[in-house]
Amino acid sequence: MKKNYNKSTEEEYPDISIITSPVKSFFYTVGDMLSFARSFVQNLFERPQEIRELLKQAYIFGNGSLGLVGITAFIVGMVITLQTQPTLAELGAESWMPSMVSISIIREIGPLITALICAGKIGSSLGAEIGSMRVTEQIDAMLVSGAKPMNFIVKTRVLAVAFALPLLVFYADALAFAGSFISLQMEMNISLELFLTQALDAVKLSDVIPATIKTFLFGLAIGIVGCYQGYYAKKGTQGVGNAANRSVVLASLLIFVIDLLVVQTQKLLF
Amino acid sequence: MERSAQEGKKDEINRTTANGNEKAVDSNSISKSFGSNTVLKDIDLHLKKNENLVVMGRSGSGKSVLLKCVVGLVTPDSGSLTVLGKDLQELEDHELNELRRKVGYLFQGGALYDAMTVRENMAFPLKRIPDRPSKSEIQDKVEEALDSVGLIESIDKMPSELSGGMKKRIALARTLILEPEIMLYDEPTTGLDIITSKEISNLMLEMQEKHGISSITVTHDLSCARITSNRICILRDGNFIAEGKYEELENSENKEVNSFFKN
Repeated sequence: MKKNYNKSTEEEYPDISIITSPVKSFFYTVGDMLSFARSFVQNLFERPQEIRELLKQAYIFGNGSLGLVGITAFIVGMVITLQTQPTLAELGAESWMPSMVSISIIREIGPLITALICAGKIGSSLGAEIGSMRVTEQIDAMLVSGAKPMNFIVKTRVLAVAFALPLLVFYADALAFAGSFISLQMEMNISLELFLTQALDAVKLSDVIPATIKTFLFGLAIGIVGCYQGYYAKKGTQGVGNAANRSVVLASLLIFVIDLLVVQTQKLLF
Repeated sequence: MERSAQEGKKDEINRTTANGNEKAVDSNSISKSFGSNTVLKDIDLHLKKNENLVVMGRSGSGKSVLLKCVVGLVTPDSGSLTVLGKDLQELEDHELNELRRKVGYLFQGGALYDAMTVRENMAFPLKRIPDRPSKSEIQDKVEEALDSVGLIESIDKMPSELSGGMKKRIALARTLILEPEIMLYDEPTTGLDIITSKEISNLMLEMQEKHGISSITVTHDLSCARITSNRICILRDGNFIAEGKYEELENSENKEVNSFFKN
C-alpha cells in the first residue's frame, strides 16, 4: 500500500514483529525508508515552501556544529601531517606534503569526518526531536489542523542538513589546512605563502566538485535517516532514545556506502 | 446556583439540538483492528449538529481510536464514516485537509509545538490555510482567541513555561482559531485539578453555545461529562453498550453502566 505521510499516521507503527528474520526485517526497513525518501522528493515543490523554517534549521545545524567540526578538523589536519611527514621525509618527498595533505583533506577526510560528526550530532538530534514530536502527538496535531508535517518538519530539516553540510566541509577543510600548516611549521620551517601555493595548486575542480556532491548526498542521507527514525518513533521515552540511536548508526553506515559509490562513479567519469 | 446555570445552558442547547436532525458525524458499522487486536466492532456513531456527545469507557476500550477515525488519522477497516456530509474514504488529500480545518481536535496532552512560542503556536494553522489572512488579521485572531481563554498575558511564553491547565486552554484556543464546526476532545480534563477541570468543562460548554459547535468528548471525568454532555455513550470492548442522558445512565439498573457513575 502506498503511504501518505501527509494524510494519516495510522501506518506509523509497521508491525515488523511478525518478521522474525533479521535479514527480512533489514530489507523491510530499507524499503520503508526508500518510500519515505520518495515522499520527501514528491513534497519538494509542495506549497507552502517553509523558507523561514528551512533557514532556521540550517542555522541551528550549521552554527551548532561549528565548534565540534572545527576542533576535530584542526586536530585531524595536524595528526595527518605529523604521521605522514616522517615517511615522506625518508623518501625525500617532504616538499610534497602540502599537496598530499590538501588533496586528501579535500577529497576524502574533510567530507568524511564532517559527515560522521554531523551523523552523530545532527542525526541524533533529528531522531530525538521528531521522535518526541511524534510521542507528544505534535505531528498528529499538525495533520489535524490541515498542515503537512512532511512539508514543515521533514522537508525543511532534510534540506537544511543537505545545504549546511557542504558549507561545514569548506570550513572544516580550512581548519584542517591550518592544523596541517602549524604542524609542518613545527617540523620544517615553511612559510604560509608557500604552503598555500603548494596546497591549492594541487587541488583541481575535479577534486572539489565530486567532494561537494558527495557531501550534499551525505547531508541528504543524515536528514532522511534522522527524520525517518523520528517519524517512526514508538511511544515512550525508550522509543525516542532508540530513534536517536538508530539514526546515528544507520546514517554513519550510509555515509560509507555513499562514499564508496561516489568514488567508484567518480573513477568512471573522470 | 452554578449548577442550575449550567443546566440552563444545556437545556437551551438540548432544545436547539432536538430541533435539527442534520448530522455532523454519521458512521455505520465501523470496525478497526490493529493486528489481532480488534478495537472497534461495528460501531454506529451519530452526532447531531450543535450536540455534545460524551463517550465514556474503560481505558483501552477504543475511545481515542474512534476520535482518530472521525478526523481521518485512522482509517476504519470496514463500514462508512461521513463527516459534515463528506465520506472520509472518498476524499482526496486536499479535500481531507479542507475538512480537517472544520474539525478541531484537542489532544490529551495539548500537543502544543514545544519549539514555538504561544503566539507562533496559535498562528501556525492560520498561516497554512489556502486563503491566508494578512499579518494584522492573524495577530488580531491570535489575541482574540487567547483572550477568550483568558491567557492573553502568556502570548510570548514557551509551552514549557505553562502549567497543564494553561496548555490545555491554549491548545483549545489554537484549535478554535480555525472556527471549526466540530470539536473532538480527547480527555480534556485528565491530569488537572478539580477547579481547572471545571473551568475547562465550562469553557467547552461556552464554546459550544457561542460558536454552535458540535462535539465529541472522550472522558473519564464524571464532572466534565455532567457539565458538557447532551448525550452519553458507553463504550466497552469496541461496542456501545448504553446510550442516554447523564441522569438516565446514572440511574441505570444495568450494573455495568451504573458503575461508571460511581466514584
